[in-house]
Amino acid sequence: MKTQVETENKNKIKNYIISATLSDTKAINDDTLIFETGLLDSMGLLFLVEYLNEEFNIEVKDDELLPENFQSVNSILKFIEGKQ
Amino acid sequence: MKPFSKEILHIENIEEVCDTIVNKLKTDVAQKLQRRGAVVGISGGIDSSVCMALSTKAFGPEKVTAIMLPEQDSSDDSKNLALKLANKFSVKTIEENITKALDGFGCYRRRDEAIARVIHNFDPKVDKAKIEIKQDISQNIPGIFSVTVIKPNGEVISKLLPVKEYLQIVASTNFKQRSRMSMLYYHAERLHYAVIGTPNKHEVEQGFFVKHGDGGADVMPIGHLYKTQVYQLARYLGVPQEIIDRTPTTDTYTAEQTQEDFFFQMPHKEMDLIWYGWENNYKTDEVGKVMGKTAQEIENIYKSFERKRNTTEYLRMRPIF
Repeated sequence: MKTQVETENKNKIKNYIISATLSDTKAINDDTLIFETGLLDSMGLLFLVEYLNEEFNIEVKDDELLPENFQSVNSILKFIEGKQ
Repeated sequence: MKPFSKEILHIENIEEVCDTIVNKLKTDVAQKLQRRGAVVGISGGIDSSVCMALSTKAFGPEKVTAIMLPEQDSSDDSKNLALKLANKFSVKTIEENITKALDGFGCYRRRDEAIARVIHNFDPKVDKAKIEIKQDISQNIPGIFSVTVIKPNGEVISKLLPVKEYLQIVASTNFKQRSRMSMLYYHAERLHYAVIGTPNKHEVEQGFFVKHGDGGADVMPIGHLYKTQVYQLARYLGVPQEIIDRTPTTDTYTAEQTQEDFFFQMPHKEMDLIWYGWENNYKTDEVGKVMGKTAQEIENIYKSFERKRNTTEYLRMRPIF
């Protein structure tokens, strides 16, 4: 069951990034480094934080803005799970 | 390529460099722009002081008008230092307080409404506020802004800014730079002068300016100089020591705010050197050794510079036809 929720959440995050950046679906996988590859810049990160707040009801604090929490779909998922 | 060192940005032939800038300024204003003098907005900061001193050298003090543009959030130091500078170079000054214009635009109200949506007990009448990037630049993640409110009893409340409120605060405070530029052009047009822009190399290339605000001048004589070099030029030109010693601030928000907190995320001396290393393709381990940082930290800072330059390209773009 957990795996199904995980997969759903992962897809939600991935789809959000694809839609927000007007990227090709092949441009991003679970481990793509979203800042390194230039997919998201500072405004992109700000919009992502807003999306996570609305979609998963989590509040991001400034000391949580770390690469390990946001650098890829997998790290965002892990971060969300840790907050829920 | 010279080995990387902390002295790499030092200008050896400062007199020659200064003369080149002055001659170019003269040619740009007189021949390209076909104007007969210069209007400079002075804030008591290092960049505008150097620009005013250079303009005085280029056109003579009688053809330079320095405009002071305070508003309700400006510090008194700014005006006092600006006056001291103008007196030293015998330049006439005009003071234009832009508070009422900003009030008319709703600058303060719109900004304070956005802050209060994030920090509910914010009272703009007594509290001080600013926005700042708190992340460490050597971590590989883009910087995003927090709002900080300081209560009269010293209590500090800080929260990450949601996108809507961040954009509203920036859009509101940008009225300040745009109103200032509007007033500078009023004086420039009535005198048939050019407006001298004061951004330095970092401000231009990292996008630390407001489009059609301080980024909207006719000519930018120090737009190619690192801040360290602007200081060197200031000493050479005889800018008052209090201005040289002052920590660069934004003078935009009610709380004290250095440019480092607001935008650059590191002291200018460090940033200048690492930027030079990045621009000139120095290896990260060579730069790291000199700067006391790991190669990975330098690599992350290089990436941060690249991100800032790319993100702010829009600000430097001319209208698209």
